[in-house]
Amino acid sequence: MTAATLPATVRRRSPLARKMFPYLLVAPAVIYLLSITLYPGIYAVYRSFYGGKFKLEWAGLANYSQLFTDYEFFNALWNTAYLGAITLLVEFFLAMLLAALVYRDPWVKGFRIIFLLPMLLMPSAVTFIWKLMFNDGRIISDLLKRIGLIDFNIDWMFTPALARLVVIFTDVWQWTPFLFIIFVAGLQGQDKEVEEAARLDGASWWSTFFNVSLPMMRPIIAVALILRGIDILNMFTPIQLITHGAPGGATETVSYYINRVAWDGPDFGYASAISVVVLVITVVLAQVLVRRYFKSGTES
Amino acid sequence: MKSKRSIVGTIILLCWATVSVWPIWYFATIALRPRVEIIAPDPIYWPTFTMETWAKIWDEWPMMKYFFNSIASVAGSVFICLLLGIPAAYSLARYRYKGREDIGNYILSTKMMAPVVVAIPLYVLFAQVRMLDTIWALMLVYAAINLSIVVWIIRSYMIDIPHEIEDAARTDGASDLRILWEIIIPMCLPGIITAAVIASVFAMNEYLLTLIIGRKEAYTMSIALANFKGGSDGIIYNAIALIAFMAFFPILLLVILIQNNLSRGLTMGAVKG
Repeated sequence: MTAATLPATVRRRSPLARKMFPYLLVAPAVIYLLSITLYPGIYAVYRSFYGGKFKLEWAGLANYSQLFTDYEFFNALWNTAYLGAITLLVEFFLAMLLAALVYRDPWVKGFRIIFLLPMLLMPSAVTFIWKLMFNDGRIISDLLKRIGLIDFNIDWMFTPALARLVVIFTDVWQWTPFLFIIFVAGLQGQDKEVEEAARLDGASWWSTFFNVSLPMMRPIIAVALILRGIDILNMFTPIQLITHGAPGGATETVSYYINRVAWDGPDFGYASAISVVVLVITVVLAQVLVRRYFKSGTES
Repeated sequence: MKSKRSIVGTIILLCWATVSVWPIWYFATIALRPRVEIIAPDPIYWPTFTMETWAKIWDEWPMMKYFFNSIASVAGSVFICLLLGIPAAYSLARYRYKGREDIGNYILSTKMMAPVVVAIPLYVLFAQVRMLDTIWALMLVYAAINLSIVVWIIRSYMIDIPHEIEDAARTDGASDLRILWEIIIPMCLPGIITAAVIASVFAMNEYLLTLIIGRKEAYTMSIALANFKGGSDGIIYNAIALIAFMAFFPILLLVILIQNNLSRGLTMGAVKG
């Protein structure tokens, strides 16, 4: 090849500049993200060794040793896992059921927009909708009375089970569409002929769905559940606006607990120590999940 | 297969549609009701409409300020995201270099950061540089939350563009930056718009960090909601409903615009549909 036919960039730039170019393109984004993730991480570790409200007092590992005997922390950890698991399961089954019912339907676009609506309201607004529906406006109680299931107004914050139900319901109502949209797209993206072939062989609708369509959806389901799972583990808004962790801490999640410790004390030191523990868990989880499930679409 | 969807299936779909839409409709009527109807002991399903409460709310609360704060901080954050995200996406989609996978994974993994963990450090940081309670701080935070999504969505669209077009331009002597600006960006515009809309939705909805940064001046619609508690009035649901729908309609319009790219955007390119 003569010099004249070489791409212009090759001629103009030195080899080093060419090598550095892609790094330069990605650098601003990486630096920005580092400053907003690495700095808080380091600061949280630093702050976790100090006590005091506004004036720092060296505390050594006291904040961490407090953590091991903190009943409220383990309670919040358990609630986060327990509420999160139920919420994710319910959302998954509902979304899959709805997606399976509409994905080959001519009206799928209409259903999609209707089912999508709750997701487009602000979570704080959704929280108030259900605060009004359950307790403040007594609407759910009223509807249940009308169909004869109960004959008195229910206080939804009275027992742990009911309060948890309200929190789970609020999240399910708003975020089932998230999974639904993804599942519909995943199911639509599949080869129609495979399904039809299975049906010609005499397989029923359900057996085709479970044995042919669902297995092919596995990578998509994994990605969708991870994204939803992260959000559910950070659940904060409905707790802060509806239950405040009541009754008796039955709905207190880790996010709410850290926030409470940080601002009600205010005890930044201890809140930072809990944050560091959460941070370690998240970093490990992120490493495993990202490497394992987000490979798709990588250009070879 | 459609005929196989029995009556039971149709009933399930209609039930869920009702469950989705009815509370929204009910909440919309709340915005237009007289106050006595909301605090009535039993719910009133057929409301009397009035504009009176609207005027009162508008007088008592700086509604336009909440709206402006939301729109300005969201728009600013999306701008930062695109400015930093498009070159990063291009680099990840089109070049081969050492550490590319790790950089891409790192960017994605920031999505998994728990907001509550960064809340205290960011509060201290913004307090030190005197940016607490400003929409500038909100912009920076929203941009950080959304940058990972924006990069990955746009990257997924860029990968789909055939190499031949760029190669031809490169042979004609176009520089890499010019190729990005004149060929790649126009060709993956649907991806960029999708990323921008999804980033807007998440920024508009952000609650925890906004609560910590916004103290008074920088109240956005998302946190202004929680503020409508007049002493003797209790929770002022009229105002809450009004704000909820002021935020809802712009978002709805944007999302309808990208509805066919939505699933791809929400999974950051993992699902193409």
